[in-house]
Amino acid sequence: MIDAGKLDTVRETLAADGYLLDVREADGRVAVAISATPDACEDCLVPKPLMADILRDALGVDTDAIDLTYPND
Amino acid sequence: MPNAILDPTGRTSHRAPAVLAKRPADLSGAVIGLLENTKKNAVEFLGELGRLLVERHNAAGTVLRTKTNFALPVSDELRDEFARDCAVVITGVGDCGSCSASAVADGVTFERAGVPAVVICSDAFRTTADAMAQRQGAAGYRYLTTPHPVAPLAPDQIRQRAEQLLPQVVEILIGQSTVEGSA
Repeated sequence: MIDAGKLDTVRETLAADGYLLDVREADGRVAVAISATPDACEDCLVPKPLMADILRDALGVDTDAIDLTYPND
Repeated sequence: MPNAILDPTGRTSHRAPAVLAKRPADLSGAVIGLLENTKKNAVEFLGELGRLLVERHNAAGTVLRTKTNFALPVSDELRDEFARDCAVVITGVGDCGSCSASAVADGVTFERAGVPAVVICSDAFRTTADAMAQRQGAAGYRYLTTPHPVAPLAPDQIRQRAEQLLPQVVEILIGQSTVEGSA
């Protein structure tokens, strides 16, 4: 179950570096897309394994149920 | 658009539980290591803290070094140099996602190398800093925060921020614990 408060915190953290977060649930999986705004800070996005750790807490699912997409994917 | 994601996690797999460096009784005569991460105002912020520690706590002086990349872990060479030459280390400023994570990883690295460390991050990045601490096997690692952002601050604002953080910096450097709930 998604913790809206924690997810908002993740969203705010990403926004501080100029990134946007989109989350969609379907069939027991969660698709998370992180996109860059024109002002996004280069190299400021954490690597996917660390982001997955952060999202696991916010989304309430194991990391292997998270389909994470980064801007350059 | 951002470049390829740099990995600050470095030496992270299967770490032993956090071990804290032994703290000095005070900072008198101590050489203060300053590891700045190339983020704007990092060198100014750390430099001001170092100056205050010399002026008010009788530290012997400072050694300033620069990371090759703010998103990557401190090199083994720099870790060893600080462990050899400095009594304590201050590192930062974690003013973005990857650099706050990297700064916390560096703090844990210094502690495990026997050097008491203080990590400074901006408060927008607690989430990434906490996640890195957990990944390093140091959940609850205590770091210091200052309001985000640090980059656009003027010199007098940097001095003010350093002044505000100084008591907590000293507390961590000579205190008993920087990891809550760890042995």
